[in-house]
Amino acid sequence: MPECLAVIGSSGSGKTTLLRCLNFLETPDEGTVCLNGQLLYDAAKQKEYSENAIRSMRMNFGLVFQNFNLFRQYTALQNVTLAPLLAAKASKASGEELDAIRKKGIALLKRVGLENKLESYPHQLSGGQQQRVAIARALALEPAILCFDEPTSALDPELTGEVLKVIRSLRAQDTTMIIVTHEIRFARDIADYVIFMDDGAIIEEGSPEQVIDAPSNPRTVRFLERYAEM
Amino acid sequence: MKTTMKLIALLLALGMAVCVFAGCGKNDASSDSAYVQDKGTLVIGITDFAPMDYQENGKWVGFDADMAAAFAASLGVKAEFVEIEWETKTMELNDKNIDCVWNGMTLTDDVKNAMETSKPYFNNAQVVVVKSGVAAQYQDADSIRDLAFVVEAGSAGAEELDALGISYKEAATQADALMEVAAGASEACVIDLLMAYAMIGEGTSYPDLTYTVKLNSEVYGVGFRKGSDLAAKLNDFFAAAYKDGSMIEIAEKYGVLDSMIAQ
Amino acid sequence: MVETVISALYGGFLVSLKIFVLTLLGALPLGLVIAFGSMSRLKPVAFLTRGFVWIVRGSPLMLQLLVIFYGPGLLFGWNIWGGSDSGRLIAALTAFILNYACYFSEIYRGGIEGVPQGQREAGQVLGMTRSQIFFRVTLLQLIKRILPPISNEVITLVKDTSLARVILVYELMWEGQRFIKSEGIIWPLFFTGVFYLVFTGLLTILFRRLEKRLDYFTV
Repeated sequence: MPECLAVIGSSGSGKTTLLRCLNFLETPDEGTVCLNGQLLYDAAKQKEYSENAIRSMRMNFGLVFQNFNLFRQYTALQNVTLAPLLAAKASKASGEELDAIRKKGIALLKRVGLENKLESYPHQLSGGQQQRVAIARALALEPAILCFDEPTSALDPELTGEVLKVIRSLRAQDTTMIIVTHEIRFARDIADYVIFMDDGAIIEEGSPEQVIDAPSNPRTVRFLERYAEM
Repeated sequence: MKTTMKLIALLLALGMAVCVFAGCGKNDASSDSAYVQDKGTLVIGITDFAPMDYQENGKWVGFDADMAAAFAASLGVKAEFVEIEWETKTMELNDKNIDCVWNGMTLTDDVKNAMETSKPYFNNAQVVVVKSGVAAQYQDADSIRDLAFVVEAGSAGAEELDALGISYKEAATQADALMEVAAGASEACVIDLLMAYAMIGEGTSYPDLTYTVKLNSEVYGVGFRKGSDLAAKLNDFFAAAYKDGSMIEIAEKYGVLDSMIAQ
Repeated sequence: MVETVISALYGGFLVSLKIFVLTLLGALPLGLVIAFGSMSRLKPVAFLTRGFVWIVRGSPLMLQLLVIFYGPGLLFGWNIWGGSDSGRLIAALTAFILNYACYFSEIYRGGIEGVPQGQREAGQVLGMTRSQIFFRVTLLQLIKRILPPISNEVITLVKDTSLARVILVYELMWEGQRFIKSEGIIWPLFFTGVFYLVFTGLLTILFRRLEKRLDYFTV
């Protein structure tokens, strides 16, 4: 059953590092990565994994960055279709399959409300629009789990709404996701499960009602109090 | 430095061209000595050319420099030395940036046509310079025909090779030509005997080079503006200085007495 | 007279052009190798490469020409280049290529380090291979970043070709200058300026077009 996990905590608490480990942008020193109860990666054997093995493990996860990181020289549609097309071409896909990828790219951009920005370059888009393209790009590879790394913290306040709305709609369509976020109210709304991190460790976890409404750990309490003051 | 000098010389030359068109170049040649005495300085065009003109403790000395200073004193004016670009010496002279060229200048037909020149006062020769190790093979004019030569472009040495029908590469200066030979990039060069005294052989930067064939002997003179009366005055001065021994004394001081011509 | 001068200058210009084209052909790729050397994770390689770049960028090109051409003969009595025109040209090209490759390497290094890490990471999480990321994502952004400084160097190179005359490679400037000595006329020297200006003008237009073609995105 699809779940939505929210990771909260103050900056520097290790939330982003956790996501980057899942996507193998950082190499964990110890621990394992499991998916659907299956062992995917064991840090004890990190030297044994080839670049290709890491790459195929990565494909299980999608990542939406805080700074969008859209490819600057490509249009919105090209950003979405670049990786799938390259992969398809590498496996000698037919023209129809390539066409299908393009059609799917258009559909994805429609899903994030950007059907009339297909040919726009990143610098022609607002931050919120860029982040929605980035979400469509991550979805194009159909990852088992979609990760968001503080998806709205680089945005002006008036632009966060449109991005949060897209994430909500994905949630409604049963996408499994992990969201690192500062938006406690949003996390409470959307998540099935919340973990609170501090100093690189998970301090408290449970349902949003438990962790956010009735925290038991004093550090969680202090963090939430500070948040409420803001 | 060299480039800067060239640039300045060129700018001056350009200025001269403008002057000629504007008609400000006319001067009465008969009054050249009066002109010099009026302004109180004799401006002497030179290059750095030991042992004739070179600097010691910031002062220009050498056989030519000392004689020029003495000549200026005899006119009752101050001597002022100005470094010039050798190729543009005639233009400098005509433009009155300098009053004479006094720098071991070979009296070629070109020079005699372009300037009012003094009597010869000095013997020089163009000599072939090769590496000491092979010098024995190249002791006469026939033996040098097939050498790969380099000479200063437009120099007296180049003219000699032209006359002999020997081909050569051109270098910007005699010093560059010497470096070519020392490095083995060219087999031989032709330079002034005086320069050879100063720059090659024992105790110099090029101990492994030596000179062999003398291609032509030549004489040095001093050049003034065409029609200037100063040339005749200098001839008188030379005669007097030779007679009273001061010219010989200066020549001895710089070790060039053997090349000096009796006046 | 005018025809003699123009054809002599044109001959010199062809030599300058040869130095220019061959230097770029050698230095643009060699610069990339040096850039990777100076960014190498092997400390001694990076150290030696950076030392070399410092020496080459820190000393005048004219001196390098003299050292490369005359050095072996003066120091070891072994002139490796020969005195022929082609030997001199090869020595000149060696100096020019080494010199310009070092300048290019620093431009490349700045360009490579200037492409945000996020662009590469975005490619990684999308499962792209290293070479796909380089050729499909990084390269074009890199080119856009380095184009202005490269065009600067290229235009400087046009004028630097005149330095080859110190080892008696008779390029444009030499041909202009020799008329002062041989004919006593100055204007050919100044007329070389026309060749340089026309050539750098064409290059300026070319680079502006290239930059314009990359105007559709920002980095």
